[in-house]
Amino acid sequence: MAWLRHGGIAAFIVRRLLLGVFVLFLVSVLVFVATQALGDPARAILGRNATPASLAALRKHLHLDQSLIGQYVTWAGGFLHGDFGTSLAAQEPVSKLLGSRVVNSAVLVLFASIVSIPLSIAIGSWAALRREKTFDTVSSNLMLVLASLPEFVVAVLLVILFATTVLHVLPAISPLSIGQRPWQVPKELILPVATLVIAVAPYVARIMRASMVEVLESDYVEMARLKGLPERTVLVRHALPNAIGPVFQVIAINLAYLAGGIVLVEFVFNYSGIGSALQDAVVNHDLPVVQALAMLIAGVYVVLNLLADVATILVTPRLRTRL
Amino acid sequence: MTATEEAPAQAEGLGTPTPPVRSTMLLARAMRLWRTRIGALLVLILVVIAIVGPYVAPHSPTDFVAVPNSPPGGKAGLLGSDYLGQDVLSRFLYGGRGILVMAFVSTAIGLIFGVGIGLVAAYARNALDDVLMRAMDVIMAFPQIMLALVAVSLLGAHAWLIIVAIALTTAPRVARVARGAAQPVVERDFVEATESMGVSRIRIITGELFPNILGPMMVEASLRLTYSIGVIAALAFLGLSPDPNGANWGTMIQQNEIALSTQPWGALAPIIAIALLTMGTGLIGDGIARTAAGIDRERGDE
Amino acid sequence: MTAFGTPQHPQDNERPERLFSGVTRRQFIIGAAGVALAGGLGGCGSSSPSTSNTPTSTGTPKRGGNFRLGVTGGGSKDIFDGQNIITKPDQARLVSAFETLLTFDDNYQLTNDGLAESVTADTPTQYTIKLHKGIEFQNGKTLTADDVIYSLQRIGTQKNGLTGFAATASMDIAGLKKLDQYTVRLPLKTADSTVPQTLASYTFGIVPVGYKAYPAPQFGTGAYKLKSFSPGQESISERNPNYWRTGEPYFDTVTITDFADATAQVNALLGGQIDAMTDLPPSQVQVVKSHQMNALISKTGGWVPLCMAIDMPPFTDNRVRQAMRLIVDRNAMIGQIASGYGFVANDLYSPFDEGYDHALPQRTQDIAQAKSLLKSAGQEGLTVDLHTTNGASGMVELATVFASQAKAAGVTVNVKNDPNYYGSAYLHLAFSVDFWGTRGYLNQVQQGSLPTSPYNETHWPPKSGTGSNFASLYSQALAATDASKRIELEHEMQKLEYDEGGYIIPFFGDLIDGYSPKVQGLKPSKGTLNLEGFGHGYRSIWLA
Repeated sequence: MAWLRHGGIAAFIVRRLLLGVFVLFLVSVLVFVATQALGDPARAILGRNATPASLAALRKHLHLDQSLIGQYVTWAGGFLHGDFGTSLAAQEPVSKLLGSRVVNSAVLVLFASIVSIPLSIAIGSWAALRREKTFDTVSSNLMLVLASLPEFVVAVLLVILFATTVLHVLPAISPLSIGQRPWQVPKELILPVATLVIAVAPYVARIMRASMVEVLESDYVEMARLKGLPERTVLVRHALPNAIGPVFQVIAINLAYLAGGIVLVEFVFNYSGIGSALQDAVVNHDLPVVQALAMLIAGVYVVLNLLADVATILVTPRLRTRL
Repeated sequence: MTATEEAPAQAEGLGTPTPPVRSTMLLARAMRLWRTRIGALLVLILVVIAIVGPYVAPHSPTDFVAVPNSPPGGKAGLLGSDYLGQDVLSRFLYGGRGILVMAFVSTAIGLIFGVGIGLVAAYARNALDDVLMRAMDVIMAFPQIMLALVAVSLLGAHAWLIIVAIALTTAPRVARVARGAAQPVVERDFVEATESMGVSRIRIITGELFPNILGPMMVEASLRLTYSIGVIAALAFLGLSPDPNGANWGTMIQQNEIALSTQPWGALAPIIAIALLTMGTGLIGDGIARTAAGIDRERGDE
Repeated sequence: MTAFGTPQHPQDNERPERLFSGVTRRQFIIGAAGVALAGGLGGCGSSSPSTSNTPTSTGTPKRGGNFRLGVTGGGSKDIFDGQNIITKPDQARLVSAFETLLTFDDNYQLTNDGLAESVTADTPTQYTIKLHKGIEFQNGKTLTADDVIYSLQRIGTQKNGLTGFAATASMDIAGLKKLDQYTVRLPLKTADSTVPQTLASYTFGIVPVGYKAYPAPQFGTGAYKLKSFSPGQESISERNPNYWRTGEPYFDTVTITDFADATAQVNALLGGQIDAMTDLPPSQVQVVKSHQMNALISKTGGWVPLCMAIDMPPFTDNRVRQAMRLIVDRNAMIGQIASGYGFVANDLYSPFDEGYDHALPQRTQDIAQAKSLLKSAGQEGLTVDLHTTNGASGMVELATVFASQAKAAGVTVNVKNDPNYYGSAYLHLAFSVDFWGTRGYLNQVQQGSLPTSPYNETHWPPKSGTGSNFASLYSQALAATDASKRIELEHEMQKLEYDEGGYIIPFFGDLIDGYSPKVQGLKPSKGTLNLEGFGHGYRSIWLA
């Protein structure tokens, strides 16, 4: 235990990992309890065709005849073994149902990250260097406005602008064919990815700017400058690494947000991902799918936060020394 | 409605929280910034539309005025008719109140609980702190829109349920910021001094801690309001609002988006309204945050 | 205008069949016992399996291409079964691979253009089905009497839970007999002149012996063979090279994509991402046309009723029911909800049935009378909840427009849009909106207006008093061999429903689909399925 407290970076990571596992455990309990409150899934499946005998058989099949704790253990144990249950609506394993959709959504989030992270770091840093100058004023005001717009508004506006009303240069919707991977239809990805970028980039840019401003004013940057290092070196070797630390947290939070928040984007663009799967599952009271998606999205949140913590520590020189 | 919402909270153990500032002074100084003024003006205009609109609307929001999707003019009125031949202008004037009331109520509830939990956690500095904050972590693992969507789809689009869902997801985010802001205050000597004088804990939390975190909380409040408006409008856009044909900006977008190329106003008017409203609250929040940071810098210089 | 988070389709397995499997009854078919059906089918004769009798509209059919169709209302509940549907895309997919013994033409008249050469009524309680020779399933197996027997028995077995089960009530499924390789005898338990219509409804697809639903391999006799299928997303089917009708079909592939809502569908159509879409919102017809796209407007007998449960307050009092019916401004509704695409109804269904009583006076809005009826019933200032859902086009709109019109009579209607409408509360609601497809009068009564009906929203008929003889009138009509006698009975039944029933049927809305001018061969049809029965199973349409 003592090592955990004073063991440097490795111990710090282990500590965070344990905490993450604990939070995931709590999340799983919450998901389980909340979905229990939604009524008898056996009745929901059988509907008006339910007979006492068929209900009993199905309850046994779904392990509903066990005690609550027993049910939880069965359910959570299945998760650990990669068994996410069977979809009530589609009557096929949840993993099969969601497999390609998870990939599709991940691609969307990945592309949005690849575009938005460098873009926002560049904008934020540049604005910090040009503080109170035209670029800073214009970009920070624009970022502020874009950040305030709900993303369905952004999506609808983009469709109006580029697909249906003003210009007709991009497809309005992005349906995927069976077996088709998102990267095979890059044109259809432009608008959904652009929507997500607009949803994420402004925040990251703002934090990057603030962080960079703080670092640029700090003593060690001044020290570096006094030592006569070239400005380029000062910025890249000293300022950027220290400024980017807090930004990791924001990036992590934004990516986690995207994992759940793409619901609207997928709806507007008719994109086959986990967002549309969630919509479908809640309408059909498809509990195993809702549970799996809730755990997946919560898991993404926990993991990303963990990664952000670790990345922050590793990248920020002044924090590393503190450990 | 993005998550950087948690931006101020991310710095747990990292940066420094915004320092305590008296709220009236902060507001007054924030109003010296153009962005705050523009934001306040936008919000004011839209709040006035939402409150006064129903009294000046030419028709009932459900009256049939002209052939569906008629362009503006004649019987169809200033903004034309919508997909059911209803008056877009009247529906627009009616459509803000529901969103604003629900957004304000849910944000307020979220703020009250969030601040309360955050302060207690910061003050406790023990196992209670850990328990509370881990509980907040658990709730935060569910994105706001997702939780609201699941709740509303399963239990129906009741106004109270939407409010509860948004308040529930707002509280932990507020709590983290409140805790972060209160921690440095707790560690200051005067709290210990007050404690030793035998002042009750509740008095210390409400009388000493709370006033000291008002600044960051005002920033947080305007941020949270922005997201609440976004989520409520988004739910309505997805067809999940208490009244399926209720005059509601989000519902209007969903109903009339399809007609954008011929009768754009049915969707465009509410889109513009929501965009200006969230921009307004965003600008106010940014103005306050900048002012607080500016005050901070001044102090640093002292 | 369907919305996210609400059901795009009825949730009950059995429900959609009765909604869409239109079965219009043409009485002359059975006429007197012993009249061959084939002979009564107005010139269709016994066509050999050579050419389709579907007339083409313009131009010469062209081969090739991928036909991309966008359909709303699907989800992970989508299935692929030759005899069953749950969602609307299921309909679109079923007819691509499976065919029925008899078919309906575009005027909703029975034809023997299907797999059967003839269906003959030997006696009122016995039919003989004669198959075309030389038809093969998509796996090369020849269609025989055994397949017909297996198909009907599969539907008629309750535990299979197929949509057509209720319609097999009169058939003696166990008594089905193979007379020779291509001939089947179908005995009935009770006289039922609607059997041919039942056999022509699309959920009575003929499947090979031993058939199982997807994910088992799918081999029908239809024009397209399933290649891949992902519920809630898409299906791709390839041309059946061995198709029995010469020359058809024309497309190389048919791709059917699920859409979340009409907005995305219209955007996809206008942007050239799909070639055709189902259920174009009426208000979009002009928009689509202004973009050089076409709208296929079909006058059908489909209806969206407001349903008052006659045994639940406040509707136990017939004066309240009558008042509600008098509140409706039917023409205004057609203008508002259907943009003028529809025709006025008189609270009665099956407008194309020869037994439809056109003599009953057209009900029109009469607020004063409605108010006075409510007053005499002690229900002045009545407040009721009206339950609806985004199940079919116009359901939510009808509820909201009715609520708006009811204000004039001092009635407050609270519209409840319930995503889980077709769950446990369905059929137990005092006041609700539902939807039905075209069908003949007696078929419709059997489905929705008898104590034994699977989907009786109004709880009609009353247990006592006026109307309590409704079920016995139905039995007499079903068994009647004389057309005029039967029509007389049907008129008597409709009078009861008109005076005492629980339905408010304001209008029959047109079925409207959108399609690109590249798609050729589409014509309006009175049938229940979209896009002229999906181009008669995607074989009478082609890409220019």
